[in-house]
Amino acid sequence: MCFKNLPIEFDSSGKARLIQSGGDPFAVTTSPIRQYVRPTEGGSGGASPSSAPPRLREWSIDPVTRVAGALAVHTTLDLENRKAVDAYSMAMLFRGYEIILQGRDPRDAIDISSRACGVCGGVHSTVSSMAIEQAFGIVPPPLGVVVRNLGECAEMFYDHPIHLGLLAGPDYSTALVQMTNPELVVMAEQTPAKNAHIHGYKTVKDIMDAMNPLEGEIYLEALEYTRIGRIMCTLMFGKFPHPSTLVPGGVSTTITTSTFNEFYAQLAKIFDYAKRLAGWWDDICDFFLEADPAYEQVGARPSNLIQTGIWDDPNVYDATYKNIDTWGNARYSAPGVIVDGKLVTTDLTRINMGIEEFVEHSFYEDWTKKGPVAFETDPLGNPLSPYHMMNKVTIPRPEGKNFKEKYTWDTAPRWDRMSMETGVYGRMWTTALADNLQPNDFLNSTGDGLRMVMPRHELPEMVLEWKIPKVLNAFERNRGRAYGVAFTASIAMINLMQAFEYWRKGETKTATKFKVPQDERVGYGYWEAGRGYLSHHLHMDKGKLLNYQINTPSTWNAAPRDPFGEPGPYEEAIVDTPILESVSDDNIKGIDILRAIRSFDPCMPCTTHMDTGRGIITREVNSCSCTLE
Amino acid sequence: MVQYTKVPDHPHNENPLLPLITDPADPLAPIALRSTLLEPNTDQFQGPLEKVYLFWIVGASCDGCTIAVTGATHPRLEDLLLGRVPGLPRVELIHTVVSVESGPEWTENLRMAAAGELDAPFLICWEGSIMDETYSGDGYWMGLGEDRETGRQITSLEWLDRMAPKAAAVVAVGTCATWGGIPAAANNPTNAKGVMDHLGKDYRSTLGLPVVNVPGCSPVGDNIIETAAAALLFLNGLAPLPEFDELGRPAWLFTETVHRHCPRAGYYEEGVFAEEYGDKECLVELGCWGPVVQCNIAERGIVDGHGGCMNMGGICIGCTMPGFPDKFAPFYAAPPGSFLSGTTSRAVGGFIRRVRRLTMHDKQRSVRWQDDELPSGWARYKTQPVGAEKAVHRFYSKVQHHNDGGSQ
Repeated sequence: MCFKNLPIEFDSSGKARLIQSGGDPFAVTTSPIRQYVRPTEGGSGGASPSSAPPRLREWSIDPVTRVAGALAVHTTLDLENRKAVDAYSMAMLFRGYEIILQGRDPRDAIDISSRACGVCGGVHSTVSSMAIEQAFGIVPPPLGVVVRNLGECAEMFYDHPIHLGLLAGPDYSTALVQMTNPELVVMAEQTPAKNAHIHGYKTVKDIMDAMNPLEGEIYLEALEYTRIGRIMCTLMFGKFPHPSTLVPGGVSTTITTSTFNEFYAQLAKIFDYAKRLAGWWDDICDFFLEADPAYEQVGARPSNLIQTGIWDDPNVYDATYKNIDTWGNARYSAPGVIVDGKLVTTDLTRINMGIEEFVEHSFYEDWTKKGPVAFETDPLGNPLSPYHMMNKVTIPRPEGKNFKEKYTWDTAPRWDRMSMETGVYGRMWTTALADNLQPNDFLNSTGDGLRMVMPRHELPEMVLEWKIPKVLNAFERNRGRAYGVAFTASIAMINLMQAFEYWRKGETKTATKFKVPQDERVGYGYWEAGRGYLSHHLHMDKGKLLNYQINTPSTWNAAPRDPFGEPGPYEEAIVDTPILESVSDDNIKGIDILRAIRSFDPCMPCTTHMDTGRGIITREVNSCSCTLE
Repeated sequence: MVQYTKVPDHPHNENPLLPLITDPADPLAPIALRSTLLEPNTDQFQGPLEKVYLFWIVGASCDGCTIAVTGATHPRLEDLLLGRVPGLPRVELIHTVVSVESGPEWTENLRMAAAGELDAPFLICWEGSIMDETYSGDGYWMGLGEDRETGRQITSLEWLDRMAPKAAAVVAVGTCATWGGIPAAANNPTNAKGVMDHLGKDYRSTLGLPVVNVPGCSPVGDNIIETAAAALLFLNGLAPLPEFDELGRPAWLFTETVHRHCPRAGYYEEGVFAEEYGDKECLVELGCWGPVVQCNIAERGIVDGHGGCMNMGGICIGCTMPGFPDKFAPFYAAPPGSFLSGTTSRAVGGFIRRVRRLTMHDKQRSVRWQDDELPSGWARYKTQPVGAEKAVHRFYSKVQHHNDGGSQ
């Protein structure tokens, strides 16, 4: 029921077991990469009457800008049919962090793995401390959990605005739309903004003007709000990016009465910003989708999502793997896997069991061919694939890119051998479908969406409703992210009320004492980054790390094709994205392709070093390492 | 329906490229072209430099320094980019996270700089370590842009090598770029190092400068932007040449140890140490390296004066120092030297602390309360010292006021 492709079934008590079929149950039969077909020059052979000579253009977007980190995408555009017909997503950087982590004191993983990504400036330290506390067998005091939650809410108040205002925003601004679709600017000028009473922009064009890069009000304000988010984050985490107060078993932050008071003072500003963000992104998305329904296909892909859940309930979280499903399901933002829009599971054990990471088209060698793997099961006896992160031994092998062979430093994570996307909208989606939130004043599931109460500040109290989109496309990703600020703010408010309560009761401890164990241990850290899915996996013995693994949201989203030939999410989203620019062929900018890519909020730094490298790098010194092919 | 054929192995061989956008009026054209259309600044108050290009390029980076600089507030990044600081040149930024243009148009800016085709001087801010591309075989550790003619993958390191000789200054931003940082730590597979190690001891920019180093992992955003702004102020004749220390760090930011300005340093002085995470006292025995680390985060905070490692309860792991991370690991063990200094501080500081409490108790009473009970609802406060304490207060007061008739 849970898995369609993996050889795992469940007995009547719900316990997982391998389906024995003789031979290697997890064997992979590779297929050639999915070949997107293209128009033939001259249109020979059975062509339709309208088949003018196809006009194909290659476009190497290297680097893709207004994303975090080093991403390149190679696409082929069909100018005749005005759409993208092929795409390859490439992570361009490798650093080898996990090799560096081997043999170190496990506590150091918090600070070192944090440096995997300076954009997701706090999530790595947090999930690392969770993986370590699971391995060490310690539980943070309730206030420690709440402080962690608050710091991670604050991180989102920096994370979402920077994408919406600075990275994605300009693609919907007057300055750029004027060059690609001047008729839309004229139309926008005549279209009253439905949410003018919230954000004050009278027409849609006023909003688009404010989104102009560097000079628009929305652009500049976003930058300022990222600073407010960071200030809130430093109250809990000391430093941002790269927190200085996250430790196994809680936080080392010196909490004072001011900590929560100051946080609250800043949070009030976020309530208003959340209302306005949702307001103008609703206006922008509705405007484009109404102006031309074809925009619905920009960046569209199947609604297959994976989320790991974030923000723990301090009364339930006990850090153990044994109870991972219980505390996972108690999270304010639910873990879950969605396939074709349907929630398949919310159990972290099942999410964990279904994950494999493939390197068929990545600059690594397949470790499963090199000998037996470390773990056949998780700590509860559930089967694990040899391709699971706990078993991964990456052998990096840089080589010239070749789209039929290897072309990226990213790996191809799959769940139940399917390509999965992850994002802030994904966690809102699973939270809405799981519908298991504790009763509270600020956040409820409506079954097909979320209802969020944003208290008054300068704007009056408002109820914001986010609806699960029918088609997952560029516009709905951005809209979801805009509503994500309200989603996070409501969770911040719930946690702040809890913090005040613990403070009032005198439960002021934020960390638990521990000793570094000297026996063999494992730790599975599951949490989320701004962009969704995040996991750290560690294996230690004699007080030192044997293996440390990181899997991130953009590892999933930017994934290349898998051994079965199927594309990763960016690739899926780009192929068949229509080119809706109303300009002549020679003036096409490909803005809809870039909208599709940017809507995922790519974040490449931590995508690209998922390397455990017990392997050896081949040091082929080449006089010129730059010739392609 | 049209007929389709299979994907070619190398797309460049098969189809024409999408044309490069070169109309300077197009917001998606390279900024180096767009910028030529801007009206020159005719303010009376304007130095010789009216415009500079800033190429922010990354190697083995996590983008944390980029994030840090976008958080800066003294001045704000947008103030430099919009030319809002009077007398300073407008800064045209070429940065993958911020630039409006993408792909070939973005890369064109770099090509123009390397070819000397820009209409104004340029600076390079380099973020991340330099990875040794001779170790990457036919591939690359960090690719950045394709050659339009041949489809050849260019590495970000190649851009540095091509552009550095023509740059007005090269600023290494963050500990990876300055000293190598985590990508250069023990076990690293890429033979990573810092920018100045790569460019070598003979490197000088066109202004005659060696590589300028702004360390930190990530640095305080204001340290990055202030260094850039100070250099531009100097170039425009408004401020003195910024002083750099023997490792090319801005001397006014990195000479002091972070401990000297730490809000917890007073606890160290009085010999009081945090024993558990969350305690408010000096963090040295929990693993803080602050007393030997050159950094200014304690007084400057991390964002707009807020936060800071020890300020909030985090130990210093030495992230601004050339020895980071290996020479500070394991982070969560007390530095060996702290046994000596801590023991001394406990002995001496412990005595001083007790004496200070005694004096404090006297200063805690107004003159009016000298002979009376405290007339307040806060009746827990015991105002009247007795015995030896009373004698000490009297003696202290005598010494303090020996020149003014010994009142009190």
